[in-house]
Amino acid sequence: MSINIPQLVQSMLGAASGAAKGHAEDLKNYLEARAKLIAEGVAAIASDRLANKINDDDVRFAFDEIKESEASARAAVTVTLKTAAQDAINAALNVAASAINTAVGIAIL
Amino acid sequence: MPAFGHWIARFALLFLSLIVLGGCAVNFVAAYDETTDRLLTDLSLKTETAILRADSGQLTAEDRDKFFDESLGTVRALKARSSLFAKNEDEIAALGTLEQRYEALRKHGGPPRSSLATGLRGTLLDLQQIQIAKKRSSIFSAGLKKTGSNP
Repeated sequence: MSINIPQLVQSMLGAASGAAKGHAEDLKNYLEARAKLIAEGVAAIASDRLANKINDDDVRFAFDEIKESEASARAAVTVTLKTAAQDAINAALNVAASAINTAVGIAIL
Repeated sequence: MPAFGHWIARFALLFLSLIVLGGCAVNFVAAYDETTDRLLTDLSLKTETAILRADSGQLTAEDRDKFFDESLGTVRALKARSSLFAKNEDEIAALGTLEQRYEALRKHGGPPRSSLATGLRGTLLDLQQIQIAKKRSSIFSAGLKKTGSNP
């Protein structure tokens, strides 16, 4: 049995995008939660300073800490993108392997 | 002869597939580790509790010292564990950032109020996202193996 290449490409693309979709949702949720955390943190800094619970040095420290934490945010986005790419490629390879098995008539891969 | 050609085509297809697919999946990131995830969840819980108590003025200096000692101990243990896995550089770097945030907050002095701990909480969230991404990928890979590639 021969392989229908256009159909296989469509199937591989479908599997790949389906695999990446969940990661995309997670990334959206994470970025929203990260933005909310920073917004609430900035509000707390202003509120505590106005109430004299913290001083100017504390405000500078707190804001520097937010900036420093962006290094780990970059790592989180990188890992999410890498896992999305990994799952998308593996999903496409799985479809390709299945097509080969079907074409040759036995489960080789 | 057509039958022979048919078998040659099959053989070529099989050969190519073995080369291209190599019988294995691609792997860009270290596998999900349940222990790391659990330790991070526990650390987040402990940190949020300490911040809440600091905000309400209930965290004593002794409690604060204990909190930082235990948190830094956990982060260093996590870093050591993460370094055992290949392709885990991003997580190790994020744990390094987390260690720096605890150290900076301790060095700054005073209670770890929520207004001062946003950087720390952000980094904890980043590490939780790393675990979520790895876990999703692990579940997905297990699904692929289960469904297999049978004709």
